Amino acid sequence: MKSIKYLILTLTAIAVSALIWWLNLSPVVSTPTVKLETEPPLEAIIADETVVKFQLQAIDRDQQPLSNANIALHLLTPAKTPWLTSDFPIVEGTELLNLQTVSPEGNLAFEQVLPIRGNYRLQVKVTPEVAGSFEEFEQSLTFTVPENRVKYRNFAVLAVILLTVGCLSGWIVAGDQKINEGEIAPQPVRMLLSGMTVVAIAVLLLVNISAEVAASNPGVEAVSQSSPILVNNETMQVELLGDNQAVVGNLATLGVKVSNPTTGEAITDVKVNLKSVALESDAVMFAYQGIPDQTGKLIWKEQFFDGASHQVTATVTALEKPSELLEVAQKIDVEGIAPPLSVRFISLFYFTLIFIVGLIGGFWVRRAKTA
Amino acid sequence: MIRTNILWQRTQGVIVSLPIQVLLLISLCMIILWTLYFSTYPPVHDALHETRHHTLTVACH
Repeated sequence: MKSIKYLILTLTAIAVSALIWWLNLSPVVSTPTVKLETEPPLEAIIADETVVKFQLQAIDRDQQPLSNANIALHLLTPAKTPWLTSDFPIVEGTELLNLQTVSPEGNLAFEQVLPIRGNYRLQVKVTPEVAGSFEEFEQSLTFTVPENRVKYRNFAVLAVILLTVGCLSGWIVAGDQKINEGEIAPQPVRMLLSGMTVVAIAVLLLVNISAEVAASNPGVEAVSQSSPILVNNETMQVELLGDNQAVVGNLATLGVKVSNPTTGEAITDVKVNLKSVALESDAVMFAYQGIPDQTGKLIWKEQFFDGASHQVTATVTALEKPSELLEVAQKIDVEGIAPPLSVRFISLFYFTLIFIVGLIGGFWVRRAKTA
Repeated sequence: MIRTNILWQRTQGVIVSLPIQVLLLISLCMIILWTLYFSTYPPVHDALHETRHHTLTVACH
């Protein structure tokens, strides 16, 4: 009876191994897919600084570009990391961009600044413009953005300062604690507390002076010029639609509508250049060139991750007359959200811990020497 | 009177004791760090905006 059991077990194991071997050998059936290229390469991207050019190309089973495709794209930010927060914790685990476009060549290109380090997810859905010309498919692409190296350097500098100050403090505290007559605290401790108070005063002074200097020099924001949100010439009318206020962590919906000024009919044979500029730094955060749909509209959703005002500009060029262009712009007021208290307390705990390590080190060394 | 004197001396003793002094020192360090890196008070935040964004584990908005 036992031997039959072993025989069945052995046969099952052989069957499973054979199945795995056969699956590995069978040729991989190629499926339609989306290829992603970035410029600069992913490893050279600096979060919150580099404007990354994304190029997506939908290809069929034979590796040929799919034509006349509707491409819907969702760009999702890395998951939340409260124990080692990024500088934009509100942006973590949210959607950064949502684009839908009709592409005759099956491609999509846009430029976007990536706010934080981590694993981003790009969800792409490709559907045929003419039903049945190819099978629709969805794909999820992931890519990783490295952390800005400057952050490690600055953290190391801060850690060294905290360790040094902690060590010195520990050294002093471990010294002679004898209270002389008429004194309420030992001389070294009083000296140490006085020293720390002087540092606190200097730091607060520096902060306040810098704040005053910054307040007396208005930034680019004050001089930025907005184009009207509705412009037209004899043949074309361009209107910028959507939100003029946004909140960090949420998508803002924006759109451009191109129509005939007299008949009101949609115009589709135009090229639309979109650009979002952060007014504080005058830096491009998002750029895209697309064509409107059958209703003459080009709708997109983007998250303004930096809690400062942005300017969205749309330049519309007629395909037949490239010299004929109209520009509309809208200032978007973006409300920043303060990082959660819990996240900030975790980071404060790390910094304090470094100081305490220095303190204990200094204390221990002095006591060990005097003992 | 004597009792009040003893109580005062004891309070002084506790305050200038080593653990309390160390606790005060750590608290002072923490409040400085909080002001520099984590305070949302606009002038402080604006003055150190870049530094906050460029230091590991420091969250901004």
